[in-house]
Amino acid sequence: MYDLIIIGGGPGGVAAGVYAARKKMKTALITDSFGGQSLVSAGIENWIGTKSISGFDLAKNLEEHLRAQQGIEIMDGDLVAAVIKKDDGTFSITTKNGVTLETKNILLASGSRRKRLGVPGEDKFDGKGVVFCTTCDAPLFGGKAVAVVGGGNSALEGVEDLLQYASKIYLFVRSEVLRGDPVTQEKVKSHPNVEILWDSVIEEIKGEIFVNGVKYKNVKTGEEKDIPLDGVFVEIGLVPNSDFVKELVTLDPFGKVVVDHKTQQTSCPGIWAAGDVSDVLYDQNNISVGDSIKAVLNVYDKIKKS
Amino acid sequence: MAKVTIYSTPTCVYCKMAKEFFAKNNVSYEEFNVASDMKAREDMVNKSHQLGVPVIDIDNNIVIGFDQKTIEGLLGLKKA
Repeated sequence: MYDLIIIGGGPGGVAAGVYAARKKMKTALITDSFGGQSLVSAGIENWIGTKSISGFDLAKNLEEHLRAQQGIEIMDGDLVAAVIKKDDGTFSITTKNGVTLETKNILLASGSRRKRLGVPGEDKFDGKGVVFCTTCDAPLFGGKAVAVVGGGNSALEGVEDLLQYASKIYLFVRSEVLRGDPVTQEKVKSHPNVEILWDSVIEEIKGEIFVNGVKYKNVKTGEEKDIPLDGVFVEIGLVPNSDFVKELVTLDPFGKVVVDHKTQQTSCPGIWAAGDVSDVLYDQNNISVGDSIKAVLNVYDKIKKS
Repeated sequence: MAKVTIYSTPTCVYCKMAKEFFAKNNVSYEEFNVASDMKAREDMVNKSHQLGVPVIDIDNNIVIGFDQKTIEGLLGLKKA
């Protein structure tokens, strides 16, 4: 029986692991990989204490710091599949690899993942023209026409990444405004290779072996059209990784776990949440770290009292 | 020793992770940068029907992405 199981290996999960180990709580941390969503960032300029660091190096530093702790059990390369609350108030956690662990307390630091479009063709052509890692795969679309979907910063940065490769970029925005940095907006709007399709949503991704076009609809006029293109870059935001606890804790309408922001406790005694999976107002690495530490200290207080 | 080929782009972090994994396990590999090497890109696409990196070829078994478990299996590595 563990005192605490931490779910997640991003900045929040790792911070929690370091603190829990130093408090000598019997702890395990379960994660598929380290670094969280920042892993794929080319450069992070706001990680405090470091002027600039790649997501890859940040992930390595986090993993190294965690592995330097004594007494914490690290289960990487695995994911949580189910959490069950037992009658005595403790929990049973089952992983994708089929391991079952018993614990008194849980910290959810599972972050969020990319939202998918949910249209026909998206799954079929995943990796065959449908792209979820723009920085990874943009160079493969040299001289081609592509679609970027989304109106926020990640979509605009996706367009920026693609500008040096693609010959034509259609930016699909479901409303009539772009969010995201004004500077990037201007750059994207004024570039001759970029065509912004306002009020437009992709309804189907078409192709044979690879993507060869999309069907889209103007949501204002109802008009439907086809465009031939070779790639669809999906940058429409994030969904919290809270599915495996949705029966146990209160979620907000976006699927984020509702917490008491003083202690990070959820509606379910024994479960804490921090970082992007929680209903924190700002999804930031530095905030996830602080909130996760808050949670661990609160878990420790509870254990001491019992 | 298995013949290992990795198709990558310079900006792909999962490619970096795969290469680091190979280095840690003393697996030698050949790398092709498909951002600039058009011939290698064509080979990758023909072999894998995949337009995304990394694609890893281990003795003609194609692995899509940095799928550590599958790679360990194909290389006969036991997880430490």
